[in-house]
Amino acid sequence: MKVSLFVTCLGDLFFVNASKATVELLEHLGCEVEFPKAQTCCGQPTFNSGYHEQTREVAKHMIETFDHAEYVVSPSGSCAYMFHAYEDLFAEDDVWREKARKLKEKTYELTQFIVEVLQLTDVGATFEGTATYHSSCHMTRLLGVKEAPFTLLNNVQGLNMIDLPNRSDCCGFGGTFAVKMSSISGEMVEEKAEHIESTEAQYLIGADGGCLLNIGGRLHHNGSEVKVLHIAEVLNNREVNK
Amino acid sequence: MGMHIGDKQFDKRRDEGLHDGFMRQAVRSAQTRLQTNRSKAADALGDWESWRELGEEIRTHTLENIDYYLEQLSDEVAKRGGHVFFAQTKEEANEYIQNIAKEKEAKYIAKSKSMVTEEIGLNDALEQIGCDVVETDLGEYILQIDDHDPPSHIVAPALHKNKAQIRDVFKEKLGYKHTEKPEELTLFAREKLREKFLQADIGITGCNFAVAESGSFALVTNEGNARMVTTLPKTQVTVMGMERIVPTWEDLDIMVSLLTRASVGQKLTSYVTGLTGPKLEGEADGPEEFHLVIVDNGRSDILGTEFQSILHCIRCAACINVCPVYRHIGGHAYGSIYPGPVGAVLTPLLGGYDDYEELPFASSLCGACTEVCPVKIPLHEHLISHRRHIIEDDKRGTFSENLMMKGFGTLAKSSGKFNTATKFASTGAKPFVKDGMIEKGPGPLKDWTVNRDMMPPQKQRFRDWYRKREGEK
Amino acid sequence: MKTNTGENLIQRRESFLNELSKKLGRERKKEVTRPAWKVNPQLDVLKDVSQDELTIVLEEQCDAIHTKFVKTTKANLPNTILETIKWYESSSVITWKDDRFASFDLDSSLADWASRDIIEYHVWNSENREESVAIAERADVGLTFSDITLAESATVVLFSDKGKGRSVSLLPKTHIVIIPKSTIVPRMTQATKLIHEKVANDETIASCINFISGPSNSADIEMNLVVGVHGPLHAAYIVVDDA
Repeated sequence: MKVSLFVTCLGDLFFVNASKATVELLEHLGCEVEFPKAQTCCGQPTFNSGYHEQTREVAKHMIETFDHAEYVVSPSGSCAYMFHAYEDLFAEDDVWREKARKLKEKTYELTQFIVEVLQLTDVGATFEGTATYHSSCHMTRLLGVKEAPFTLLNNVQGLNMIDLPNRSDCCGFGGTFAVKMSSISGEMVEEKAEHIESTEAQYLIGADGGCLLNIGGRLHHNGSEVKVLHIAEVLNNREVNK
Repeated sequence: MGMHIGDKQFDKRRDEGLHDGFMRQAVRSAQTRLQTNRSKAADALGDWESWRELGEEIRTHTLENIDYYLEQLSDEVAKRGGHVFFAQTKEEANEYIQNIAKEKEAKYIAKSKSMVTEEIGLNDALEQIGCDVVETDLGEYILQIDDHDPPSHIVAPALHKNKAQIRDVFKEKLGYKHTEKPEELTLFAREKLREKFLQADIGITGCNFAVAESGSFALVTNEGNARMVTTLPKTQVTVMGMERIVPTWEDLDIMVSLLTRASVGQKLTSYVTGLTGPKLEGEADGPEEFHLVIVDNGRSDILGTEFQSILHCIRCAACINVCPVYRHIGGHAYGSIYPGPVGAVLTPLLGGYDDYEELPFASSLCGACTEVCPVKIPLHEHLISHRRHIIEDDKRGTFSENLMMKGFGTLAKSSGKFNTATKFASTGAKPFVKDGMIEKGPGPLKDWTVNRDMMPPQKQRFRDWYRKREGEK
Repeated sequence: MKTNTGENLIQRRESFLNELSKKLGRERKKEVTRPAWKVNPQLDVLKDVSQDELTIVLEEQCDAIHTKFVKTTKANLPNTILETIKWYESSSVITWKDDRFASFDLDSSLADWASRDIIEYHVWNSENREESVAIAERADVGLTFSDITLAESATVVLFSDKGKGRSVSLLPKTHIVIIPKSTIVPRMTQATKLIHEKVANDETIASCINFISGPSNSADIEMNLVVGVHGPLHAAYIVVDDA
């Protein structure tokens, strides 16, 4: 199966290990992975800030970049959802709306792709430790991917999953919200950090770079011992970790 | 008082909320309880998603034909001998009700809880002409006694107060002598208010849902105060926001079932009272004269726009009860009697961006509100639409933000520029990195690092690794 | 009933409604047919459930709404009522003026208890508003009959009428409702359907239709549930087998 990776800008710049793991994992599962080099960002920063004219330009660029793709897979629920939302940006443009619809139909978040398209529930991973999982908002509520991460994590050998209290509460990232409404966002991420600490897990796993950047930043700020991992890193681990 | 509460700027109101430890604790525990009750009630119903779909369908149809249903409603009210007044503005509504009070030489007026009368500032209007107006919902009563402290929640208006504060208010204002036990406080209010019900010349209610087919309207309460107000006074005035209407009693069933579950997790509240016109001939209690006041006050400007579905709102507060932003800043921070996600959408539409342009941005767009809304209003999408209006139509973006966003747009639509810019991100961040993290960021990053550290961009980008790997293959 | 259909009862309607149709971008609608809704989950709730099973649902829900539940036979109904009145340590009772008190042989019992000073007994007098309200306000118990009973939510539906004053179920400290078992239906859906059909047949519906589920309550103080606010402090349902 041919997969075009939409790595996202956070995945390109910050969560590089998670992005590498995504490639290796998909290849391990028998996919042929390619990375369209022209890709940039999904346009969420401008979209959520109200700059839709700019977003349309970015959207057009991304639609063209992935035009040839059979499947588009992204290690981010939020950015994959943004591809799904392009359609509404072109309410008055039949041509681009149709192109956006096509992109939407072939775009999947990583765990969603593994469970729904590859029809796998066990990727053969091993990971020693106790972990808790943060359900990111856009992935669960907007993209509607609720169970796939748990399905896959529950089948990772050696991994002991602990329920995160209020796991679907927003971590307070919200893109520019974290900067624009920093004080509110700070309270939200502190609450999230408290919930994570209460599980006494060694690892916090997530499937969205934005949330992990935020939560990880707060945990570090608090001097926490909890390590933050992207789900791809866990699912791609096949050797005993230390 | 009207819709607007307080006279401070958003930043100030927000910070006051963030620093109000008790309020935040009260809100947190209330939210937890209300959320649990709501999801239990939704689960008990089994097919909650079908109920939501039905709710949405009924509301959509009704609003699309709102002129027809309001005409039918008013015809039916008149057939039963009731009066109907259509008020385009709050001033028209208040004046009409003032005139009723004057005509009846009313001294005492008992009100049951109503958001629309808060919105139009009816109490002030009636007090101006010398009426003694008492709020009879326990929460509203507490606030009224406490020198008109504004409500902070649309269902539980005194959510921000604790029982010790309530005891002190009762003690100071009413000579209360007992403890802070909710039972004792409530019993005291019951006795005080019983007198008020019995002496009231006019009863004023809001309206949860009007029923077009029969000219009826329903009040959904637990305390029984709305029943008092519609049983004892000889004149009754009911004020409704024009969108609070369903076509038939069968639709009322659905909306009430959704409302009570979504708002307080009850199958039905203690009282759902369906009232039609004044009392019938031969009946002893109930109003002899009935007036229905239908209020527009800016609602019609929402019709036919992308925001039309906010008029589907049934004021259940489920969105408020799940909102993490509301949890931390509380209701007063919204500066409006409509707080939380519904408030952030509705308030700027009714009150304008001049006063409320921050509200649509006070959201992480987490979508929890949209997920729980019993009539499926896409609340977070409306917030994005507001942002677009504010930036693109009203050009309210700051110079630096415009510059940044436009700059970003230029980068992100060009693979070459994007590639070049990100190539140097790591080098650019380097001076600020300490032990692998940025703890004090420059520029816009400063606001980020107040509350958390920042992972720096990696030296080798994914695309660099990938290219290298391709080359090696 | 007044049948005044004069336009003077309605003020400022035309300009108001014209504005709405203008905003909706069309002419005023003179005829609208309510569509058949795509889904109807309300019809599936407690579907095909027997009267006995509905009674059990009702009983269980009474627990959740702080309401006393008693089951009795027609023959034993007067005793059960008196026991319930005494259970609340009550002595004064106001009832509706309703034929069902005779058909369930209750009015003779009530009169008998009154003559022996076991209770103080009043019947709602629609001729005298002030007096009737004052009596209801002083009464310990308001005794009514349920017209329709909703099992799901443990709700009694009371239609106001000449002899069926609103105050009787509202002002006394305790509300005791006699529920003929035959009045029990699954949920609000069946009650509103009946009202809808009445409206469609041009029948006059009651000026006040009360859906009552237990005693009054409030959670306005720190979300603590307090039972008994403005309406009754207590509620009791007596289900009587009337088959």
